[in-house]
Amino acid sequence: MSDQNIIELNGVEKRFGNFVAVSNLNLALKAGEFFSLLGPSGCGKTTALRMIAGFQEPEEGDISIDGQSMHDIPANKRPTNMVFQSYAIFPHLNVGDNVAFGLRKNGLNRQEANERVAEALEMVELGGLQARKADQLSGGQRQRVALARALVLRPKVLLLDEPLSALDKNLRESMQLELRRLQQSIGITFVMVTHDQYEAMTMSDRIGVMLNGRLEQVDKPEVLYARPCSREVASFIGGMNFLPAEKTGEDKDGLKVTAAGFGPLRIDVNPNVREHDSALLVGIRPEQLEIAAKEPDDYDATASGTVTDVAFYGESVHYYVKIDGVDAPIAVAVPNYFHTVDYRRGDAVWLGLQNASVIDLGKRTDTAAKT
Amino acid sequence: MRIKTDASKGMALSAPASLYVGLLVAAPLGILVVYSFWTQTYVDIDRTPTWVNYQEAFNDPLVRHLLIRSVAIAGCVTAATVALAYPIAYFIAFRTQKKTLWLLLITIPFWSSYLLRVFSWKLILGFNGVLNSALLTLGLISEPLTFLLYNEIAVVLTLAHAWAPFAILPIYVSLQKIDRSLLEAATDLGAGRLERFVRVTLPLTVPGIIAACLIIFIPTVGDYVTPSLVGGSDGKMIANLIQVQFGAANNWPLGATLSLIAMLSVGLVAIVFVFLVRSVGEKIR
Amino acid sequence: MRSVMRLFPGLTTYAVLYLVFLYLPVLLLPLFSFNDGTIVAFPIEGFTLKWYAQLAEASTMLQSLVNSLIVGSVTAVLATALGLFAARAYVRYRFRGREVSEGLVMLPLVIPGIIVASSMLVLFISVGLRPSLTTIILGHVFIALPFSVSIMKSAFDDFDQSLEEAAFDLGESVFGTFRRVTLPIVSPGIIASLLVTFTVSFDEFVLAFFLSGNQPTLPVYIWSQIRFPAKLPNTLALGSLLLLFSILLLLIAEYFRRRSVKAAA
Repeated sequence: MSDQNIIELNGVEKRFGNFVAVSNLNLALKAGEFFSLLGPSGCGKTTALRMIAGFQEPEEGDISIDGQSMHDIPANKRPTNMVFQSYAIFPHLNVGDNVAFGLRKNGLNRQEANERVAEALEMVELGGLQARKADQLSGGQRQRVALARALVLRPKVLLLDEPLSALDKNLRESMQLELRRLQQSIGITFVMVTHDQYEAMTMSDRIGVMLNGRLEQVDKPEVLYARPCSREVASFIGGMNFLPAEKTGEDKDGLKVTAAGFGPLRIDVNPNVREHDSALLVGIRPEQLEIAAKEPDDYDATASGTVTDVAFYGESVHYYVKIDGVDAPIAVAVPNYFHTVDYRRGDAVWLGLQNASVIDLGKRTDTAAKT
Repeated sequence: MRIKTDASKGMALSAPASLYVGLLVAAPLGILVVYSFWTQTYVDIDRTPTWVNYQEAFNDPLVRHLLIRSVAIAGCVTAATVALAYPIAYFIAFRTQKKTLWLLLITIPFWSSYLLRVFSWKLILGFNGVLNSALLTLGLISEPLTFLLYNEIAVVLTLAHAWAPFAILPIYVSLQKIDRSLLEAATDLGAGRLERFVRVTLPLTVPGIIAACLIIFIPTVGDYVTPSLVGGSDGKMIANLIQVQFGAANNWPLGATLSLIAMLSVGLVAIVFVFLVRSVGEKIR
Repeated sequence: MRSVMRLFPGLTTYAVLYLVFLYLPVLLLPLFSFNDGTIVAFPIEGFTLKWYAQLAEASTMLQSLVNSLIVGSVTAVLATALGLFAARAYVRYRFRGREVSEGLVMLPLVIPGIIVASSMLVLFISVGLRPSLTTIILGHVFIALPFSVSIMKSAFDDFDQSLEEAAFDLGESVFGTFRRVTLPIVSPGIIASLLVTFTVSFDEFVLAFFLSGNQPTLPVYIWSQIRFPAKLPNTLALGSLLLLFSILLLLIAEYFRRRSVKAAA
């Protein structure tokens, strides 16, 4: 991954009638990175992808690829290729002809074209299937054919529109790793659109979170997870417990706050947050809370409460604990080390947390404790 | 080359077809309207606008008579065709697994020229025709039946045959759409077979019945071929009079006038019909 | 469920009788076209093929057959082309007036034949077009359009839009996409539409009667022959052939229409 920008979107806006699908989008993607646009349905991520591909034109702003403005360049002339959500395998052509479809314009002779097709199919582990008919392919195979068909043209950028959403869970997980490996071995830029946060975090070098047509935050997955810039982004990525807090002091080491339920805390300032105030919101992830029958010793802050619900997830157990001062129950995720469910509904328990795990989420805009 | 917006592409693609139809509906109708205000004696057309044709048409008892008869015949045809079609549509929807086969069987006879089928009925119903000769040979009658041809009965029978699939298909579609669990629920609530049919099945097929009625009624009022071949003098309809104006009588303005009057009458009756069915439907609820 | 639903016990018998009613006139024509006698009545007098043989010498009939073939073919191509583009627009795009346009295109089905015929005759004469094969073609395209539009609409309904986008994304031009992707996939639908519109035109009588001038089509020729009782068996023979031809064409069209639904899926 180099530092050069391969795609730049500046002030891009897209409207459909009165509806603003994408608003003031500014984004720079680096050559060779795996970038995901993540967000819920209708947030504008697919529209943004289609604008890069050339299927939609922005009302305002500019898109440039490898330094060249795409302003009047139609989709069939852009250095991008797309893997469609439905894969769009041509039903009347076999696998080989599907993959070779875009090669016609390149002036290759028959033998060169066949070699390129074979090479592309090897890359996606479908070597030798040139003669297979389109309607005889499984879902996973169709996806690979779509990939091979796009990659055979050696585009500068590969665009993927929810490429794994049609696959079942096990296949999806293995394909996530495979796509990642493929991208790293070829070295070209992949831009993927997905609504699945885990998928985005697994595969991407960087993630751009979009909500309601706006790009909220762009960061590496671990940074996005640890320092989300707002409550909305925080609740979109992973589970989160929100605690209202009051700022009591500030120094070079961080913020001093008093959080509901847990009392005084000392937390680091979150550089991604836009605004701070005396009324703050802080968050803590369920897996970073300790649950115990007696007050735990070596934790920075504790709270006592009652278990209201228990959910068994196989690999983990989630407890929902109601503590004083916070309206919504606190979710605690405990790995299932010993195959036991230790606490039942109605049990009195203690929760413990460390200062380092608490996330500063900036100015509090409402009084609810949890989404 | 900029990608045009969806809307303009769509309009451009469909424009030729809709313009073609639009023109061929609007322009001729427009010209008919214009013609209806002119008069023609032999070969000369007098273009001074006048209401004469309309007066003539409204005052002529023959026109009134033919119009009423056309509407009445069309009404009978509609009723007969729909009544005969409903059971077969019900049969295909509920009583057989080989639906595609039956639907194919139903439609094949109509993949032939309408003219030929009407002609065939003429041969069947005639004095020396197929039906009479068969009945005579079998000894069921001693003299040929005379009431079968060259009257309204022949027209209704022929048209009820000709429109059969146009009645069966809409009714079948609406029967097919009925969620079977509605009938099961009715049974569960205590309804017997007849009650289930009258209170659940029948009301749910009303849209199909209305569609069938309109599809049959509207074109039938203006039908020409059947009354010509099998109608005789008792079975003549308004279309025959219109054709004469364009043919032997050479009075195109009058023909235009009659066409417009016929269309308006049909439109009026259709609207009244739909309105009546809707309001009766509300009351039953 | 079956015993619970048995409301009308005689329904199967009714269905069979109804089928007899439907097929009676249609089967009559071939039946008596082989009859060795000029009267269409029972009893049958004997089997002969001479009425068919005589058809080969009827030059006016052959001429009208040629006219019908010309009119039918041109109508089929024009109606299918218009229907192809219109159907693609209706299924693919959302635009103002789409529903109006869709309804408009179906209008020819419900306007009574005599109105269509008389109004078109008046229109054509007013713009200086004498009745001829051209006027018949114009009229037949009008009434064939609803058929081609519905057939093409169902062919496009199952057509995944991203197939065309994919072709475009892979570098094809607009026309190239149409030629290499769209056409092959909807081609069974196109064939079905061509066959149906041809048959609609081939069988059509009222419009042809009004708009034909000196060059009659086959149905118009048949109409003129109906007045001659001596010619009746020949007319029956011709009618039977026409019947067979139409049914064959439409069976083939149905086959292709089903293939178009499968091909696009």
